[in-house]
Amino acid sequence: MPENENILIDARNVNVEYETYHALHDIMLSIKAGELVAIIGPNGCGKSTTMGTINGLLKLSTGSLTVGGLDVTKVSLEEMAKMCSNIPTEFPPDFNLSVYEVVMLGRYPHRQSMWWETEKDEEVVRAALEMYGMSHLADRDITQLSSGERQRTLIAKAYVQQPRIMLVDEPTAHLDIRYTLEVMQYFKDLIKREKDMAIVIAAHDLNAVAKYCDRIVMMKKGHIIACGTPEEVMTPENIETVYGVKADVIKHDGALVMIAKYPIPEHNKEFEETDLACSSVLENNAQSG
Amino acid sequence: MAEMISGASAKMKRRLILIVGVGLIALLLMILLSLACGTVNYPFQTVIDSLMSVINNGVVSGVDRTIFNLRFPRVLATFAVGAGLAVAGIVFQAIIRNPLVDPYMTGVSSGAGLGATLFIIIFSGVITVGGNYAMPVFAFFFAVLAFMMTFTISKVSGNNNVSFVLSGVITAMGFSAVTTILMLTNDDKTHNILGFLNGSFSSISWEVCMIILIPVLVISFIIMIYSRTFNVILLGREQAMELGVNYDSFRLIMMLIASFLTAICVSFVGIIGFVGLIVPHLARMALGGDHRLLIPASMVIGALLLSGADLLVKELINVASVTLPIGAITTLVGIPFFVYILKRRGKGYA
Repeated sequence: MPENENILIDARNVNVEYETYHALHDIMLSIKAGELVAIIGPNGCGKSTTMGTINGLLKLSTGSLTVGGLDVTKVSLEEMAKMCSNIPTEFPPDFNLSVYEVVMLGRYPHRQSMWWETEKDEEVVRAALEMYGMSHLADRDITQLSSGERQRTLIAKAYVQQPRIMLVDEPTAHLDIRYTLEVMQYFKDLIKREKDMAIVIAAHDLNAVAKYCDRIVMMKKGHIIACGTPEEVMTPENIETVYGVKADVIKHDGALVMIAKYPIPEHNKEFEETDLACSSVLENNAQSG
Repeated sequence: MAEMISGASAKMKRRLILIVGVGLIALLLMILLSLACGTVNYPFQTVIDSLMSVINNGVVSGVDRTIFNLRFPRVLATFAVGAGLAVAGIVFQAIIRNPLVDPYMTGVSSGAGLGATLFIIIFSGVITVGGNYAMPVFAFFFAVLAFMMTFTISKVSGNNNVSFVLSGVITAMGFSAVTTILMLTNDDKTHNILGFLNGSFSSISWEVCMIILIPVLVISFIIMIYSRTFNVILLGREQAMELGVNYDSFRLIMMLIASFLTAICVSFVGIIGFVGLIVPHLARMALGGDHRLLIPASMVIGALLLSGADLLVKELINVASVTLPIGAITTLVGIPFFVYILKRRGKGYA
């Protein structure tokens, strides 16, 4: 069925359960090639867990999940790395790698020899640096970049991985307004150019998401509350349910704009506990130095 | 394909050839210098003549014996230990993702120290088998015991980098405390023990030299094969896995290999401080963080640094009639350097 070939992510009744809490409840999600999808929701709602199951790093408790036709429970890390690339929010501490070297790491899954990069690797990396306006910074140490430049380096690295799915974790968390727009535009441009790709962004910035994304998945406490176009999902009611915030949503210059007014008293109490349990599990999984 | 490759890869190949080329020449010169220097300083011509005669006729004269049987294995052993500690340092720094850790962080050196101390106090004279190997074997056994303890404690306490570092610290403290107690209750042996604890290359035979050199070369080669994987590891667990690296098993295997490498280095010649910490930094400052250049360059620098320090030890005996422990010299040289690194980069490790 040709339509099915277009489906890059197909999650059916995905549950992720830990000893202390139930991180994902019956997630049903299907994402097609050419889509720019955002997952939004408060901290601990299951955004990162969802992304973690898609790239195969977190185990499903029940349900099925295929990514680019591959069953995530069976696929090796190696194969997954060719299918799916990730853009993390945070960059690890300094180790004197240059921009070029970091971007080249994205070619690791495609390596032909243990030691050397091929000419093709170099071409792809050069093209990516060019595309993201980083050519002149190729030899710069990554620790000496601005946060916008660092983000572009990470995007270039994910791009040279030549994945069909790009998972982006809070890309604009450390960026100011200008870079936020720039970075979101990069993803928009990328999806226009590479039509057989899908990009999934876990995000906090509702307005940026509404402006750039085709579809929004709204989550709360491990459930998908709403899923659809920005118009369908970004309603004052949904925002109230998910964030516990009174908000107006208006249309301005063709894009939806959310104006947060005030937090609804007592609303958040119930899921603060879940937040804590979730972040501790994620930390354990992230386990780094 | 090779001739088609251009750009960065070609640049790196050139640099690698340069490192290996310049490195080999420097090491050869260092061998020549080390063969010439000692209690008696020979002119280079004598050294070369003697080597030629050894090649043709075997070891005949006293000069041949000094140069070929005493000085030659000694300088190669300094190369091996310097290179081995540098490589082990790189592995730990990459895996812990903190450039301020060194290969002794698993408690290996303290383990070896206790092993040697126990041997000197209790078993020397009692154990007659094994000859000169008895003490190194003891030291090695305790070094392995120490890193097994570190691994076990770390595994039951979260198996993350912080627990690993802390496990190493307390293991080292435990072993050192026992060593101190033993030392203070056995005044007559203190000098021998301190000799081991601070390292010495004064009695290295060809056999011992090979026992150190061969594993160092083999293990360094294995580690070098995985240079690109080490580059990826710098991104951290999650990102490394996302690039297809089986992080957990890679980390475990490399830590075991590097601990083993360290144990071999310290068991025969004692504890040589700071080489495993500083050398990777020197190489990183000069060449950047790519392990394909970093590992070979560090091996060369480590070998030169330690053989240089040993040369200093030998000459100080001549000039000032003092025998300084080589481990103390490398540590003394290392501390200002460490402060410099810490001042420049330590702020990033909050």
